[in-house]
Amino acid sequence: MSGLEELPDDPEAVKMPDADDRVPVRLGVNGRARTLRVRPTQTLLDALREQLRLHGARSGCGVGMCGACTVLLDGRAASGCLTLAALCDGTEVRTVEGLESPSGELSRVQEAFLRHRAFQCSYCTSGFVLALEALLAVDPAPGETAIREAFSGHICRCGSYSRIMGAALEVAGAADRREQA
Amino acid sequence: MLHCRLVRSTAAHARIVAVRTDEAAALPGVVAAVTGADLAARGDMAVLFGPVMLDQPVLAIDVVRYIGEPVVAVLAEDPAVADDAAALVQVDYDHLPAVFDAEEAFGSDTVRLFAEPPERDPSFADVTLRADHERNVCNTFTVVKGDVEAGFRAADLVFDDVFDSPAAGAVPLETHAVVADARGDRLTVWSSTQTPYITRRQLALQFGLPLNRVRVVVPALGGGFGAKAYASVEPIAAALSRVAVAPVRLYLTREEEFVTSTKHAMRVRIRTGVMRDGRIVAREATAYYNAGAYAVISPRKVMFAGYGLNGPYAIPHVRIEAHAVLTNTPPAGAYRGFAINQAAWAYEGQLDMIAERLGLDPVEIRRINLLRDGDAFCTGETLEHLRFHDLLDGVAERIGWDPDEPAHRDGDLVRAKGVSCVIEGTITPSTSTASVRINPDGSIDVLTSSVEMGQGIRPALAATVARRLGVDPALVGVSYVDTDLTPYDQQTTASRSMYSMGTAMGRAADDALDKIRELASDLLEVDPADLEIVGGQVRVAGVEQQGLPLSEVVRRSRVGNVIGEGTLVTAGGLDPFTGQGIGSVHWHQSVGAAEIEVDTATGHVRLLRYTGGVFAGEVIDPVGAEHQCEGCLVFGVGNALMEELVFDQGQLVTGTLADYMVPTLEDMPREHAFELMEDLEHGEVHGLGEPALPPIAPAIANALYRATGVRIRSLPISAEKVLRGLQEQRGSQQLSEAATVGVTT
Repeated sequence: MSGLEELPDDPEAVKMPDADDRVPVRLGVNGRARTLRVRPTQTLLDALREQLRLHGARSGCGVGMCGACTVLLDGRAASGCLTLAALCDGTEVRTVEGLESPSGELSRVQEAFLRHRAFQCSYCTSGFVLALEALLAVDPAPGETAIREAFSGHICRCGSYSRIMGAALEVAGAADRREQA
Repeated sequence: MLHCRLVRSTAAHARIVAVRTDEAAALPGVVAAVTGADLAARGDMAVLFGPVMLDQPVLAIDVVRYIGEPVVAVLAEDPAVADDAAALVQVDYDHLPAVFDAEEAFGSDTVRLFAEPPERDPSFADVTLRADHERNVCNTFTVVKGDVEAGFRAADLVFDDVFDSPAAGAVPLETHAVVADARGDRLTVWSSTQTPYITRRQLALQFGLPLNRVRVVVPALGGGFGAKAYASVEPIAAALSRVAVAPVRLYLTREEEFVTSTKHAMRVRIRTGVMRDGRIVAREATAYYNAGAYAVISPRKVMFAGYGLNGPYAIPHVRIEAHAVLTNTPPAGAYRGFAINQAAWAYEGQLDMIAERLGLDPVEIRRINLLRDGDAFCTGETLEHLRFHDLLDGVAERIGWDPDEPAHRDGDLVRAKGVSCVIEGTITPSTSTASVRINPDGSIDVLTSSVEMGQGIRPALAATVARRLGVDPALVGVSYVDTDLTPYDQQTTASRSMYSMGTAMGRAADDALDKIRELASDLLEVDPADLEIVGGQVRVAGVEQQGLPLSEVVRRSRVGNVIGEGTLVTAGGLDPFTGQGIGSVHWHQSVGAAEIEVDTATGHVRLLRYTGGVFAGEVIDPVGAEHQCEGCLVFGVGNALMEELVFDQGQLVTGTLADYMVPTLEDMPREHAFELMEDLEHGEVHGLGEPALPPIAPAIANALYRATGVRIRSLPISAEKVLRGLQEQRGSQQLSEAATVGVTT
């Protein structure tokens, strides 16, 4: 990430910021250029929620195990709770709020989740949606195995897995070529 | 707004010797560091709370009773500062003997959690207490039917087994969160509670306020599963808001969530007497539910356990005693399957051991004993509209049950099937009230205090009202909960909402229609008895004419809106010494069948297929019902194969989702199906939040038993336990072979 690339070669020359110091971070969030001042220890999840008031990414476990805090970092799915905001300088972040088209239309993944009612409490939904968006960006017609792999780091405690898979397979166009378990 | 971070006890049981908050309070940005003694010294609030017993301190005073108990609350504008300051608080403890196991704590000579009996909250109508603080007991519930000793004397065989269930976490993906504002003469809390009206009552008691000056607002929850029932974080945030005269926000980390409310660990000794033909003639059970350090709702839990341990069988002689025992572990609370999971784990496991010994098919022994219409349950209630046999036949067919089918072997992999049947009650007595407002544009407001936590109560209530009024469900808007605005509901637990709130809401819709009829009769100058309302239109019965839409009745009569109200109050209750009375307004019937594969080289068990059958009465929202059943399957797979809160001397060692595993997509069976049996003739809606869950773990264990002969008696069915069971089996085979050899030479 560009934040690290800018460090000088001589480690002695690096002035480590104090925990209370704020570090400027310039990043794109849902297509809009933003400048944040963050603590060195602050997570991207915290910065998005508390400073930018983007509540679509949620904290579920704080250790990268549940997937509720998933965001797209330069197009790839990442755990917001494990990503330091200070290291996101120069990156492009997309949250579930940024999936709508400029005219307010939901993405086809979001539409499919709604159509399939692929959620109960919906706390995990943005994570599943973004995981699938990230997969579709590199593989427009993924098979069931690839989708299961993409969802493997996501927990739906309410138990909507069947309908989540149904929505995902429909979007992937894979519903008619389900692989054998 | 201030952020609260809690300093929690690092001692399992100790006297607090000193609390040093100076350094924390001096940190720039810190507003206050508050102790339990600070709250008590103010004299303007109660410092103990609890839904049944007033035993739980808002912040610990003098004594801590579990590792994780809130001791000091630090307030700061910036959550990061609150975190830093919390680390600076120092607490000195004088350690006391501690106890972690419920059976050990029961009547312990060395450890007593409470020197004096805590005060009781009189509000809970159906919880009669047999508490005994000298024995660490917060309630005991006994069920007696027939003469159990005579039953055992008559029995051909008596089986005597001990089964264990561990503590587990509900793990709602959203942890507990609350904002409290106690400024002025009112208290408002925005809370992730499943029990808004109970929480309101608890907070009113805490601050000596009339109910109408406490407002509890509940947005949609990120899951609940019981863990968010009854006040827990709210009394802390409210007390601190009063101290700081500012709104206070408190949300829990995952590790804090694990120690805020757990599933009860439970041990039960269960003796069952049977005849050689498979009839069960006697059952005696003694259960110890580990309540943790504070009673919360455990006194009620043992009542469910008392009749729950009877199981869905017609047993003439029964004696069951269930104790809720206090220990130095985090408080156990409500949890999906309320007390029944642990009971079914025991009696359904034992029943397959009985079947094997008698040479009976596990499905057949259940058919012989399952309750039928007209049978007397252990509570003395005569049961009707039972469909257990049909449900069992259904799952047996869907799983492809064949009594003579041997386990399938493929190298180390062995596959087999298992079944299980469960009876469960719903909370009785119970009260729900509801309002329906018909607006002049034809849209409908539905006011309810049932909490939406993903179970789909809002779409289900919208469907209920739309059907009654004959309008498009899209016209119906269902409220979230705000106790200032939405009418009383007892609580969103016990799979009660669709029955209790659903019935009240149907009555509210009918009441609105009665009022529409009255208004229309004035407008049309027709006797109200001559009017009928069909498809959202009022018309004169038997006359072909243009109907008058509901909206037009509201507009033309100039009443603003038409408000219908409905109430459901159910009656019942059981005697705590005999268990006789009315246990449940209706009984949930649930069966399950599992096919598993066990790797005998590793001990790993995988659930391949699962099918359940649940009596639903009437399904209001088919997609929501399907979701509830799959949700039960997630909990069942987790409980059966993965989930356990492991404590080491009271310290939780599985406090993150990296240590405490819950099922992902890959852990779920590739195939599952649930039958939701309806009976529209007797049309009573049964809640579906829990019934599908309790049969799952025993069905999996029974399948493993058929696959390998290994009987696991303590959950979860870990690979380690299975492997050990297989090794012991090989060991005893070798021993018996050696013994045989010894005899012949």
